[in-house]
Amino acid sequence: MIQADLTVILPEIVLALFALLALVAAVYTGKDKLGPTLVWVTAALMLLLGLWIGTAPAGTQEAFGGMFINDGFARFAKVVILLSAALVLVMSQEYMSRRGILRFEYPVLVALGVVGMLVMVSAGDLMTLYMGLELQSLALYVVAALRRDSVKSTEAGLKYFVLGALSSGLLLYGASLVYGYAGTTLFSGIIQTAQHGEVSIGLLFGLVFLISGLAFKVSAVPFHMWTPDVYEGSPTPVTVFFATAPKMAAMGMLARLLFDAFGNAIPDWSQVIAVLSLLSMFVGSVAAIGQRDIKRLMAYSSITHMGFALMGLASGTVFGVQSMLIYMAIYVTMNIGTFAFILMMEKDGKPVTDINALNMYSKREPGKALAMLVLMFSMAGVPPMLGFFGKFYVLRAAYEGGLAWLAIAGVVASVIAAFYYLRIVYFMYFGKDGEELDTHRSPVLWLLLTASAVVMVAGIVNMFGVDGAAAAAAATLLN
Amino acid sequence: METIILFAPLVGAILAGFGWKIIGETAAMWVTTGLLFLSCALSWVVFLSFDGVTQHIEVLRFIESGSLSTSWSIRLDRLTAIMLIVVTTVSAFVHLYSFGYMAHDPAFKDGESYKPRFFAYLSLFTFAMLSLVTADNLVQMFFGWEGVGLASYLLIGFYYRKPSASAAAMKAFVVNRVGDFGFSLGMFALFFLSDSINFNDVFAYAPTLAETKLTFLWGEWTASEVIAILLFIGAMGKSAQLLLHTWLPDAMEGPTPVSALIHAATMVTAGVFLVCRMSPVMEFAPYATGFITILGAITAFFAATVGLVQTDIKRVIAYSTCSQLGYMFVAAGVGVYSAAMFHLLTHAFFKALLFLCAGSVIHAMHHEQDMRNYGGLRKKIPFTFWTMVLGTLAITGVGIPLTHFGFAGFLSKDAIIESAWAGGSTFGFWALVIAAAFTSFYSWRLIFLTFFGTPRGDKHAHDHAHESPMVMLIPLGVLSLGAVFAGMLWYNNFFGHADQLGEFYGIPVAEATMHGDAGHGETAAHGETTAAHGETTAAADTATEGHAAEGGGHMVFAGEPGQGALYIGADNRVLEAAHAAPAWVKVSPFIAMVLGLLVAIWFYLVNPALPKKLAESQRPLYLFLLNKWYFDELYDAVLVKPIVALGRLLWKRGDGKTIDGFLNGIALGVVPFFTRLAGRAQSGYIFTYAFWMVLGIAALVTWMSIGGGAH
Amino acid sequence: MIGLEHYLTVAATLFVIGIFGLFLNRKNVIILLMSIELILLSVNINFVAFSSFLHDMAGQVFTLFVLTVAAAEAAIGLAILVCFFRNRGTIAVEDVNVMKG
Repeated sequence: MIQADLTVILPEIVLALFALLALVAAVYTGKDKLGPTLVWVTAALMLLLGLWIGTAPAGTQEAFGGMFINDGFARFAKVVILLSAALVLVMSQEYMSRRGILRFEYPVLVALGVVGMLVMVSAGDLMTLYMGLELQSLALYVVAALRRDSVKSTEAGLKYFVLGALSSGLLLYGASLVYGYAGTTLFSGIIQTAQHGEVSIGLLFGLVFLISGLAFKVSAVPFHMWTPDVYEGSPTPVTVFFATAPKMAAMGMLARLLFDAFGNAIPDWSQVIAVLSLLSMFVGSVAAIGQRDIKRLMAYSSITHMGFALMGLASGTVFGVQSMLIYMAIYVTMNIGTFAFILMMEKDGKPVTDINALNMYSKREPGKALAMLVLMFSMAGVPPMLGFFGKFYVLRAAYEGGLAWLAIAGVVASVIAAFYYLRIVYFMYFGKDGEELDTHRSPVLWLLLTASAVVMVAGIVNMFGVDGAAAAAAATLLN
Repeated sequence: METIILFAPLVGAILAGFGWKIIGETAAMWVTTGLLFLSCALSWVVFLSFDGVTQHIEVLRFIESGSLSTSWSIRLDRLTAIMLIVVTTVSAFVHLYSFGYMAHDPAFKDGESYKPRFFAYLSLFTFAMLSLVTADNLVQMFFGWEGVGLASYLLIGFYYRKPSASAAAMKAFVVNRVGDFGFSLGMFALFFLSDSINFNDVFAYAPTLAETKLTFLWGEWTASEVIAILLFIGAMGKSAQLLLHTWLPDAMEGPTPVSALIHAATMVTAGVFLVCRMSPVMEFAPYATGFITILGAITAFFAATVGLVQTDIKRVIAYSTCSQLGYMFVAAGVGVYSAAMFHLLTHAFFKALLFLCAGSVIHAMHHEQDMRNYGGLRKKIPFTFWTMVLGTLAITGVGIPLTHFGFAGFLSKDAIIESAWAGGSTFGFWALVIAAAFTSFYSWRLIFLTFFGTPRGDKHAHDHAHESPMVMLIPLGVLSLGAVFAGMLWYNNFFGHADQLGEFYGIPVAEATMHGDAGHGETAAHGETTAAHGETTAAADTATEGHAAEGGGHMVFAGEPGQGALYIGADNRVLEAAHAAPAWVKVSPFIAMVLGLLVAIWFYLVNPALPKKLAESQRPLYLFLLNKWYFDELYDAVLVKPIVALGRLLWKRGDGKTIDGFLNGIALGVVPFFTRLAGRAQSGYIFTYAFWMVLGIAALVTWMSIGGGAH
Repeated sequence: MIGLEHYLTVAATLFVIGIFGLFLNRKNVIILLMSIELILLSVNINFVAFSSFLHDMAGQVFTLFVLTVAAAEAAIGLAILVCFFRNRGTIAVEDVNVMKG
């Protein structure tokens, strides 16, 4: 029995054991000298795990009495998480080595965080959910403060920690209420209590607290305030990590909670999610306009994107979940490309994050500028880039789910958001000649940037099959 | 073979237009011209070997959408075959002619490459025109229709550095849009009612259309009336009929070969072709065809009057074109479509010839176009002179009255005038006869001013006037053959008796006596009937009037709509009536022609001072004619100015102040305000952030307990 | 007789005190950590109360997990705070505002 259970969570176990072994090995051998090797090995392992999970046979397995569910939805999310985490590690190595902040803890912490995320999207019980979430959060608090000698980095860690702990508290309080009113912590049990008649007010309270706790993780307004500060303060590779894998994990967990545990109360949470989505889209796009720091700008940008992804969830349909998954996959890809570009922005060997530094960038680096242009257009949702189709899917989901007002608001918000994406393009192509950035050549970053841009254009053919995979994944969640 | 005819010019256009840098300028010119001559040769083969049975050659599936099913296919019937030879012949010779005419264009700088572009446009035009005439459905036709419009736009504005050329190109485009609007509406109506746009289905549906009532604008009409009028509006635009004619004279800004090809021989006749093609619909629309007759007659008369006083050589010919198109519409309007096609064919030859001759004159005179600066060129450019005289003889209709012996225009124009009389349109008849007199006058005036008298104007230009190169003279020679013989050659095919026409167009004919009862059913026998009469056709060249009247009584058209190239209703006896017209009717255009010639001789050879005196004594009339009846000024005041004013209003007030102001207000006022607000909220303090989170959850919980959970 | 609602009331009160402690306190980050502990403990009271009321062990298991995680969280929080203090020389909440806007 226990053997069957362990087989189901074998990938998580493998990754966790690897992290622990790596930790021990590094401590007792070369310490930070092992950093680069460890980064590559971890990335390779994640890649392998991603392939393993991605090619696993379809079907749903449950472990530990339903506390851990491995279905198509979980696998989709896990593949996105593992691949993006692996790419982030690959991107970080050169940048961090040169600045001497590549400690061996970094890949270990990332690996542990990823284990938490994998558990999150597979959670079938409030306890699993909480454990996964905390494992992820604790790892992230530490990597945010990875640069121990920097005020900004430690401040980012501190802020993230305090607010994250608050959000955990809210989530736990909600979990306790749900447990009290449903009599169980299993999602499959909670959904049955909601089946008979109306959802009790206590359960709804619990639901709202749970949603708030998770909204913090996806940085939805008004639980988003930590995002810009943490993005700005953390070392850039860590920021990339924050912007990609944890977002997918939190979204996946939110979707699982809402559909698996509260699938019978869709009208109740649909409106809450819709409001969060609306606020995120508008606050994210309006606040980003005032930003000069590209990392802060990307933080607001990701808040806006999360608003769009939430719009898919708010529709409460299979298609809505599918659109959310597609949106997240596209979002993660775009962000990896964009951050690869940001990682290359430096002057005299020091990282630069002011967007004014991009003035007339196209003259000096036409290739990179073009790739960035494609990514920015994609982010803004300009057809025919892939970003447009992501937006198109969620808008259609919202419209078909009876949330036409939300879809219209989404269109307006994306118009506002287009401003600051296009401003970056404007700076690169039409700005004044200003200070020149170093012509930085990192093959890995350059490759990721180009690949991401190419995907944004080439993906319009069939989205590399993500469309169908997301549809299948969404179907398993709402069986 | 038909496919080659259609696509050879397109291949040429693409090769010359995009590939000239690779294959070189001269090669590009030869490729387009060569392909057109190939196309032309094949067209003649098709025309001469065509047996009258409609063929459909599918090229590709085009549009499939709902019940709309369209293939790109070539409809080959007699109408198409006629248009094929007209288009490809004129086009091929215009290509050849352009070698000489465009050799050294002063409008372009040295080393600037304009010739491949010109030839590519010409070939593109030819392709569009061919796809128009070979269309098997309305959409395909509309494609060609717009294609020729585009090519015309490009070619009128070929001298793009000249503001007047650009303006003329734009004017042609805009005025044509008005007509196209009618055409599209007609097309939509046909599809709406008959659920198909394929000609076969539409034609078969035509009798039902006549019984369908339709409310349009202010009244109730039969559907065929409405559709016929709408389609005719399209034809008016393309064929420069009155009200929509203003673009044609301005289109003369384009190079002269273009004027010859597009604005004389082919594109402008597309409207006539459309009316003939849609004859099954037209036959059921008596009011609409009446309107076509009247409008055609007025145009013929109006344009001829304006042509009397113009001094620009090309404008005279342009107005003449406009006038001749009016003739064709009169013929189509009274129901003798074959006569319209006849005049279209002959007109293509002699008008292209006239234009090319004018081009030759202009070429000789270093791009001087004002006839007042010509004179005495007879000796300098003899070949051009003689061919132009042949063209003039053709257009004025010189021939031996009451026989079928004369220049092309004599036969076709007289056929139209007789038809107009027979069709019962007294107004049309007299308008055309008077127009014929005017035609004669201005055509001879052109000849006399240009080639006779003493040299006027720039002496240098006269001294250096020289005959054009051979590549320009060959087309003149070939086209003058057409201008002389085209009428006599095909008279019986176009304006013979019903059975001859029936054979030519593939329309079943039946014994007149049988018509009325089972007549329609017997049409299967038409193959034998026409074959029997085919032998008499050969001898019918010099058939007398009496015989014609006799023969006409025997046979009537008995085709169903869609059978054969034309549909002529069973009650349509205009053709017979025309043949039976009294002698004075038949002679009247000849008399008018002679009168015009005599007046021209008196004015310009005998007493050259007279025109000026007359112009002074009749100043208001002169100015009225010189300013083309003030149509341009009228349109400017009634349409252009108010529309521009409205546009300005909407632009400045509507768009600038209201919409831009609104958006700018949001973009520059509201959004930055919120941006500042969001920035201030992001204070950097943990307690603020926590406070917002708590506020958020409090709001959500409150909302849920009041609204959400209380259901 | 002390019923479920009494436990819940106590827990809710502690929870609210903890939250208020988070944003009313502007002096010391340590107090923030204490407030967080308070919140987590109030949740534990909830869990245990429900567990006992429902005669279901899951709540108490959950409580044990929360306690464990809370300990780890406190450790990490303090570690980050120490790093922060080394750089900034203060742990006043009002001074944690280098980044804003």
